[in-house]
Amino acid sequence: MSRLLSSRNALLVLISAVIWIAFAAVQPSILSATSLRSMVVLAVEVGVIALGQTFVIISGGGGIDLSVGSIFALSSVTAGLLMTHGVAWPLAALTALLAGLGMGALNGVVIVALRIPPLMTTLATLFGYSGVALILSGGVDISGFPKGFFAIGQSRLLEIPVQFLLIYLPILLILLFVERASYFGRALYLSGTNETAARLSGIEVGKIRFLVYALSGLLSGVAGIVNASRLTVARPDAGGSANLVSITIAVLGGANIFGGEGSVVGTALASLAIGSVTYGLSYVNANPVFEGGIVGGILIFSVLAQGLLGRLQRARA
Amino acid sequence: MAFIELRGVSKQFGGVRALRGVDVAFEQGRVHALLGENGAGKSTLIKTLAGAVQPDSGEITIAGQRAQLSPRSSKQLGIAVVYQEPMIYPHLSVLENIFMGQELVSPGGFLRRGEMATRATPTLTRLGLDPSILEQPMGALSIGYQQLVLIVQALIQGARALIFDEPTSILSKEETDRLLGILRGLRESGHAVIYITHRIEEVYQIADEVTVLTDGAVVGHFPIAEIGSEQLLALMSGASKRDYQKRSSQGRVTGAPILAAEHLCVPPYAQDLSWQIYAGELTCVYGLVGSGRSESFQAVFGHLRPASGRILLGGQPVAPRSPAHAIRLGIGYLPEDRKLQGIFADKNLEFNQTASVLRAFLQWLGKLDLRGLVRATDQGMREYGVKAKHPGVQIALLSGGNQQKILFTRWAKSKLKVLILDEPTRGIDVGTKAEIHEFIRRLVDSGVGVVVITSDLEEALQIGDRILVMRKGRIVEDLRGEALNPETILSAAIGARS
Amino acid sequence: MKSERLRSARRSGGSPGRRLGQFLLSREGLLLIFLLLLGAAIDIASSGSLLRFANLNNLFVNVAVVAVASIGMTLVILTAGIDVSIGGIVGLSSAIAGQLLTNGTNVLLSLGVFLAVGLALGLVNGILVSYVRIPAIITTLATKSIFRMLVFLTLGGVWISSIPFRLTNFFVLTRIWILPVSLVLTLALLIAASVLMTHTRTGRWFYAVGDNEEAARLSGINVRLVKTSGYALLGLLTAVAAIFSLAESPLVQNNTGSGFELTVIAAVILGGTELSGGRGTVLGSLIGAVIVALVQDGVILLHIQPFWNGVLLGAVILASVASSGLRLLRQRGAR
Repeated sequence: MSRLLSSRNALLVLISAVIWIAFAAVQPSILSATSLRSMVVLAVEVGVIALGQTFVIISGGGGIDLSVGSIFALSSVTAGLLMTHGVAWPLAALTALLAGLGMGALNGVVIVALRIPPLMTTLATLFGYSGVALILSGGVDISGFPKGFFAIGQSRLLEIPVQFLLIYLPILLILLFVERASYFGRALYLSGTNETAARLSGIEVGKIRFLVYALSGLLSGVAGIVNASRLTVARPDAGGSANLVSITIAVLGGANIFGGEGSVVGTALASLAIGSVTYGLSYVNANPVFEGGIVGGILIFSVLAQGLLGRLQRARA
Repeated sequence: MAFIELRGVSKQFGGVRALRGVDVAFEQGRVHALLGENGAGKSTLIKTLAGAVQPDSGEITIAGQRAQLSPRSSKQLGIAVVYQEPMIYPHLSVLENIFMGQELVSPGGFLRRGEMATRATPTLTRLGLDPSILEQPMGALSIGYQQLVLIVQALIQGARALIFDEPTSILSKEETDRLLGILRGLRESGHAVIYITHRIEEVYQIADEVTVLTDGAVVGHFPIAEIGSEQLLALMSGASKRDYQKRSSQGRVTGAPILAAEHLCVPPYAQDLSWQIYAGELTCVYGLVGSGRSESFQAVFGHLRPASGRILLGGQPVAPRSPAHAIRLGIGYLPEDRKLQGIFADKNLEFNQTASVLRAFLQWLGKLDLRGLVRATDQGMREYGVKAKHPGVQIALLSGGNQQKILFTRWAKSKLKVLILDEPTRGIDVGTKAEIHEFIRRLVDSGVGVVVITSDLEEALQIGDRILVMRKGRIVEDLRGEALNPETILSAAIGARS
Repeated sequence: MKSERLRSARRSGGSPGRRLGQFLLSREGLLLIFLLLLGAAIDIASSGSLLRFANLNNLFVNVAVVAVASIGMTLVILTAGIDVSIGGIVGLSSAIAGQLLTNGTNVLLSLGVFLAVGLALGLVNGILVSYVRIPAIITTLATKSIFRMLVFLTLGGVWISSIPFRLTNFFVLTRIWILPVSLVLTLALLIAASVLMTHTRTGRWFYAVGDNEEAARLSGINVRLVKTSGYALLGLLTAVAAIFSLAESPLVQNNTGSGFELTVIAAVILGGTELSGGRGTVLGSLIGAVIVALVQDGVILLHIQPFWNGVLLGAVILASVASSGLRLLRQRGAR
């Protein structure tokens, strides 16, 4: 199994390379350090959301979070409104993070305590949270933030974008630790593989699932803040395609839509691949709809491939 | 000529022989009871007739024609099975449930509801149902009525043989009497009725003839007038007749019970249970399906909620809220369904074996001692003789017996006060079964309170120092030492007055 | 048995007056009351604009657009599925057929192409969901963006605005009594669908599949075919909605139809169809569609910011899901 996963990871790196070469064939100037940096900046935001989505999908029980984009938007609107009303930016950012966590936790409570399937819950909160974002902001973009806030999404350290070095990488490493070496990670995989067996082994499946949705909310909040800082504006209608993109990244990275499988490293590499597509398309000035279409195609293709691979493995066993 | 005839039908699942050369014939206008313990092969036989299981060898003839049965062809040949838990469309009307897939339609596909109702009415009336029931949503009916609707469905679809799979085990007394009356009616109208049960008193109420199955083989077939209930009992317990070495556990049991229940009620499965479990003594709980044996102990494990009563662990009252809580208290439970409740199929042996003891390997900040986990798994595998190369092997690749060993190790290594093992040897090969029995004994000797729930009488007699017999949610016998004998236990379990 | 008979007696109700009372307390009754109150409130707040003739006609066409697609969505949700790609189907069918219409292709032929495109796209969804077995939400989330990309490719960044006036003239301006042809057609389709769903074998199969898929398979019902045809019909009916919508505002652009899925899902859920499948009616969805169209109209009439549209529809979905969750909880408590 581990060999299969690592071969998938190698494949993802290869795919990313091919994407870059393909774009370079159209527009050779794309091969530059600046490009790489810009791509990383783009990939960080969806990449962070995708990490949360990966955990949600691994947790099983029809695990899916369609509301990530709305949490993303409402968090950044929260931060934006607080800042424009004179709250210090670190406090505003922290509040926005808590808001993200709270929204994810609410999803978790509804799913675990009321036992409403994740699809229905997060479809409803997808509209709910974005509605709140629109009402709070009056439907208009919020801007005019203090300069200090822009450090999050616009500065560099050692020529590396700070949101990659100080936000994405630490989160990645923490989640890698959680996945590989922690009790929570082990319990997460077991819950997703066989819920009943996990419960009968003394694992508190409900708690695990609640935490996973809360985490997904928190990470969507992180992405929202980084995005607002990078673009100097908080958009209440942002994040519309975040659920599609994050699910695609997770599945491409090896997450099984029926739970129990997936990996942080796979998701990180898949973010690289999807980020490369996004950046490449914007570099050659393609309309943003191509991103959605291509990502949608990749999603269907990777679910298909997963099904075929599974069938092949079973046939061999 | 018999309507259904089986000759030499055998079926093997993995290493387990479910049916061994079964010869049996079912005639129209007769009620034929199939009697046997759990695991005697009754359900495999039904599934074979329903076309859900293909026999390895032997032949089946229906109305004189050799038949290869599939679910569809079985239905077309007029065989219908009424299962214990009916498969229904809860939100659709009774009428629609009856005719689903066999609707009467006019050209254009329009349903002829009136005609369907007209067609169903005589059958409904015959079964004592009011035709107004047709408009009710199926989900609003009790299980007893749902069964009747399914009988109506079978009759309307032209069934000539009706198989009833322990239909009365979840019915009330009144519902049971009504159903038996209906079966008599079916006999009179010339249907072949096959009635699977473990209740001997019902056999005498209803059957014309009886076939007894033990270990997948037919051990007797009699017209009902020619056999007494003692003889039937003796036949059913036939395999358990061998002389077991009687163990006297009196010497080993010391002091207060390690686990006790006082007036425990787990509705609707068990009522007013009181028992004590002692460390150093192997207690078997024997009972038939539906006797509430698993459920009452799942309540002790926190998986079900008792409605009333107390659970005492080492003399202290405890109220496990969840399995996690029960494990923290020192109670473990090995579930009966290995595949659905036990293993994590696509995970490796380490994940599987350590699932219940993960907390013991916690270090800092929620970190697990990963090397410790591998070491513990490796050690457990050696200790319990799991045949696999290393802890990284996927569990699904192991045989059933080795999977069960891993699950057993999961609990044996958990440092518990009490371990409840639910059907620990179901469906595994003889060799592994003996090994697991040996492991269980070791665990008992180490001072853990061990409860083995089993529906295999032979096993209970073989390993138990003491046997609690459950029937219909109650403890009906508590036997030790010399008192352990198969007839007493079986008759208590099936409620025969012998 | 006695209690069951009692219950059925209670259900079929005594006097006509009591029966009316019971209807008004049922979900449909409450929705109708709500509908009337909402309509009255909007009319008063907009100082009578709602019932002004031009607006009323507009409202009727909007009802037709939402209702015709909600027939199909009801079928899909009944089988425990969902389709969030229909906005893309509106866009793509409009873009392809719109180009034919501007090219001067025969109008009937163009409308045929319209329907064919919708059917084909729905079929793609249906096959991916029921034969390839990709969960419905994932399939349609993906195809939604793919369809949207194809819209862009078809249009090549150019708007289509020269739609023949005949279309508008026929579907919007021609009236039978006071109802525009589009609404009359929709009502005819609704009645047909309602009859189909309640009185034909095929219709009941949709309920059976959503109620107990395993049992349906054992009853010999071709579950995959039933599911696939649900998506295919939804695609077809979405194309009909797209035609009406194009007749009303003769313009096709990149984002034509986006957000339509929210409107239709809200209408269907509001009409009492449950996302878990097996329960719901096409007529309920009609009431849902009227309310949704009324909300959209009200937002325009009252000069509220357009985003409230989405907020209100979202709230509707949220409330429906919450109420079904609470009911489940109560059932569990009662047991």
